[in-house]
Amino acid sequence: MSLSSARSASGTASRVRAGRMDSHQFGDRLLLGLVILLAILWTVPLVWVLGLSFKPNDVLMHSTGGILSAPFTLKNYADILASSNVFTWILNSIIVSGGQTVLTLVVCSLAGYGFARTEFPFKGVIFALVLAGLAVPEQAIVIPLFKMFADINLHNTYAALILPRLAVPFGVFLMTQYFRAVPREIEEAALLDNASRLKIFLVVVLPLSIPAQATLGIYTFLASWNDYLWPLISASKPEMFTLTVGLASTQMNFAQSEGIGFLMAQAIFAGLPILILYLFFQRHIVTAVAGTTVR
Amino acid sequence: MGRIELVGVTKRFGTAEVIPELSLEIEPGEFAVLLGPSGCGKSTLLRMMAGLEALTAGEIHIGGRRVDGLPPGQRGVAMVFQSYALYPHMSVADNLAFGLRNIGMAKEEIATRTREAARILEIEHLLERKPMQLSGGQRQRVAIGRAIVKEPQAFLFDEPLSNLDAALRARTRVEIARLHQRMGSTMIFVTHDQVEAMTMATRIVVLNKGRIEQIGSPLEIYRRPATRFVAGFIGTPGMNFLPVDMAEGAGGHAEVVLPGGTRLATGIPSRNLPSNAGSLTLGVRPEAVRVNPDGPVKAEVEFVEHLGDRTHLHVALPGGAQLVVEDAGESVVRAGEHIALTADGARLHLFDAADRAYSAA
Repeated sequence: MSLSSARSASGTASRVRAGRMDSHQFGDRLLLGLVILLAILWTVPLVWVLGLSFKPNDVLMHSTGGILSAPFTLKNYADILASSNVFTWILNSIIVSGGQTVLTLVVCSLAGYGFARTEFPFKGVIFALVLAGLAVPEQAIVIPLFKMFADINLHNTYAALILPRLAVPFGVFLMTQYFRAVPREIEEAALLDNASRLKIFLVVVLPLSIPAQATLGIYTFLASWNDYLWPLISASKPEMFTLTVGLASTQMNFAQSEGIGFLMAQAIFAGLPILILYLFFQRHIVTAVAGTTVR
Repeated sequence: MGRIELVGVTKRFGTAEVIPELSLEIEPGEFAVLLGPSGCGKSTLLRMMAGLEALTAGEIHIGGRRVDGLPPGQRGVAMVFQSYALYPHMSVADNLAFGLRNIGMAKEEIATRTREAARILEIEHLLERKPMQLSGGQRQRVAIGRAIVKEPQAFLFDEPLSNLDAALRARTRVEIARLHQRMGSTMIFVTHDQVEAMTMATRIVVLNKGRIEQIGSPLEIYRRPATRFVAGFIGTPGMNFLPVDMAEGAGGHAEVVLPGGTRLATGIPSRNLPSNAGSLTLGVRPEAVRVNPDGPVKAEVEFVEHLGDRTHLHVALPGGAQLVVEDAGESVVRAGEHIALTADGARLHLFDAADRAYSAA
């Protein structure tokens, strides 16, 4: 090959590379633009709610537009601190969601380890029954559940809000699969290291399942925090409302009560704990979502 | 340092018998290698000694104590797994100390033993690291260290070199052998790799289908295989097998007729062979045959493998039988050439129909 033809070939190659680079960069920019657009679309309602929460109620009675123009007020937030039940509802939600998360992790981990590593009669059948729970819609069991808790006089208690949600077939399945993936040799090494079965579970296997625990914990907490149907049915006293039920109750009374600005301030206030939780556990939440959707 | 005794050990998985009644004695301080192909039951046997697999029948004694009813942690053995099986969330120091803490050993004693094991294995600088931060070879050392700190009656190694690359495997092999020399402990090493077995063992136990084919020193196993299976399993390239007929030999030694009609004298005493031997198989290792222009066996070279220090010639005998022959590293023999071969009669083996071996005295 002559020098000139070599140069020409090398020029062609670099043009092809540049062309590829350009189309690659264009794709990236298009994707970035789309993501920004979607983020804006998703953020607009939140910004709207935030803006409305700083507007006086009497102004909002006339129009809910113009959130960026004066007048602004902090009265809606001051009213929350002074009069609203929202603190009680947030506390209830924290107790219920926190309790549910901790207990779900305990139950699902133990059940998962049992299914993954121990042998007992009818294990396959019992595991299939647990998984069958995935196919039963929540609405189908509401009435028997309501009657059961009514019979034992537990409605309007934390126990009634937490206990029915501890049966999490997905959680058992997730933990079972995770424990199955832990190399058996690690547990055998622990057996040779004189560890009891309980110690192996607590000290060797459980710490290895932290990623799965984080996934399950985050999902459970978020699902519990946003749960509406069962708390609406079980908690009839306002002091036992969770945040979702409490906020819904104020929206229903909107016409004769606090006004839209106050309502928006309540929504912002209610969203703060979950926002803080997200900021702290952002990495785990992203991993959890990615881990369960992209296999 | 304990003696290990297996008496009538049997293992069945459902109806499948993996180990039919097997008895074996391993002396204190011995480096015994359980060698065999995949699925021969060698790992199962080791796991039964460790207590990780229940016996269907039989007894296991370690250090004079019957242990087959005891849980793994109380048998006085330590095991090094193929995958290392380190606790990923614990530091190297914690990995070493975990077993000692579980038996309630004093902190000072744990620290002393951990330091000493780390010193022997040259992993003192790694004690605070997690297994994820270690290379394969370092992980292997930690796994061995975890066994050393326990000062067990016996070390059990379950193919611990399989996950290492060739160079590291060779180095670790020497280190384990050196460790055995230094500690003088009883070690049982499971492998399917004959090189590992030959280089490390004081005694090799060759297993096939759950049965012991032969027990002996590495050279004994190599030079005087008890069965055709052992003869074929040991040695790379493997022993050549040729169907032969018996002929009247001189001086009380057997003579055989090769497929092409060539007679070959062996060093095997005729009286050792069964009178109704019938069809026999000749076993000859590649290095027992040499290229010799005056040799009695004529062959055609089909393929030549130059390995540097030696050359392997793949040849065809007049009857069509194939043979691998070892030649010098600088061999000039080329494919397609017709050559003559000679065999060292003292290094020939005969196998009867039941695959029993007959070797020169």
